[in-house]
Amino acid sequence: MGAEPGHDPVLLIQQIARGDREAFERFYNRYASLVYTLALRVVHVRSDAQDLLQEVLLQVWRQAGSYSRDRGSPEAWLLTIARSRAIDRLRSVRRRDRDLLPTGHSSAPEGGGKVEGRMAQSDARLTLHGALARMPEAQRTVLEMAYFDGFTQSEIAARLGEPLGTVKTRIRAGLQRLRELVGAKAPEGLS
Amino acid sequence: MNHNEWLERAEIYALGALDVEEAIQFEAHLASGCDLCEHHLRETREALTLVPRSLMPETPPPAVKGRLLAQIGDEAASVRPARPRPRWLWWGMSAGAFAAAGLLITLSVSLVSTRQELQRLEGQVASLQVELARREAPLALYTAVINLLRDPSTRDVPLRGVGPGAGAAGRFLWNESGEGHLFVANLPPAPEGNAYVVWTAAPGMPPRSAGVIQTDASGKGGLHVYPGRSDHGVEVFTVTLEPSGDVSAPTGPTVLASK
Repeated sequence: MGAEPGHDPVLLIQQIARGDREAFERFYNRYASLVYTLALRVVHVRSDAQDLLQEVLLQVWRQAGSYSRDRGSPEAWLLTIARSRAIDRLRSVRRRDRDLLPTGHSSAPEGGGKVEGRMAQSDARLTLHGALARMPEAQRTVLEMAYFDGFTQSEIAARLGEPLGTVKTRIRAGLQRLRELVGAKAPEGLS
Repeated sequence: MNHNEWLERAEIYALGALDVEEAIQFEAHLASGCDLCEHHLRETREALTLVPRSLMPETPPPAVKGRLLAQIGDEAASVRPARPRPRWLWWGMSAGAFAAAGLLITLSVSLVSTRQELQRLEGQVASLQVELARREAPLALYTAVINLLRDPSTRDVPLRGVGPGAGAAGRFLWNESGEGHLFVANLPPAPEGNAYVVWTAAPGMPPRSAGVIQTDASGKGGLHVYPGRSDHGVEVFTVTLEPSGDVSAPTGPTVLASK
């Protein structure tokens, strides 16, 4: 992937940094679906996911010059930006929904509010395949709650009613599984 | 803290799941120039690309691409000189042509320079946004504690030091929603490889872990417990010293207790 001349993502980003619109269009064609799918899974509303896609790719256009391959692949860079923006928007909606709750409903134990409610309304068919689908459910659940729902490890532990240590162990086991799939090794002493 | 614990934090940081205080500590560790953690963070982020790739792909509407290309076209146009020069100027005199060529080169250099400056400024804005988020994080925690204090149903439960924690003291603000905040004082940092685990228990029920509390060199520490634990009728609050934070029931000596 990425070896085809004119489609190497690192080269594309360098060209985008020089203001090359054709390179930007090729970059969009390559990654738009991935960013949109991620955004849709996080915010659950198609119009919001489309806005996020536009914002993320605009950020790529503006900040391509700040990308350095030493800090990771273009895909990891792009997805870090996309997830960060999507989770920001999700938390913003959660805060707004919480503020709209009448006094006395200061907390929603299941993370509730309208955000999660929208999941049911979404017509997105975000089924799983690949790495996550083959993962044990307990590991997959904590990874999804963190990555897609923006919960911290303590919030996950609280919502699942599990000890924090158990949640950490599941997260690390899940991440280890993913690292094995991409061929990365854990550092010495960390397994 | 031994370095493996920093590496563990690097993984959870990459996932975006570290709690605020731990995230700030980890960022400070990274800023100190830890290449090992930086490398591990990078590899974990690469591995995490598999997560969104596990979703069945959705195709965005073509209109999004159209809007985006129009937007970047507008941005590019806004930094170009707006007024075209008359054609006769280009064909009139060779000296003028040379001058115009020089002008074009100057403008091109200026455009590149402007674009680089714009990118530099956007980079600075992004850094400031990160810094702002770091500063807002403690504020969010303080707000959560104030909201707890405002709630008339929140109890203020004193904890006294016992056993290895004799001399320590604590206060547990606890709300039946399952949210709470524990303050401790005069509790020395847990020995290397050990952890202070906080427990809540309702009468007749086994204790449930509410998380790990860390204290600084002065013995002070805090732990915010987020809502959603569906704990009802909690009466007993304890802190125990455990061989790790990953225990499902108390095994070590109690250092703080509500009763």
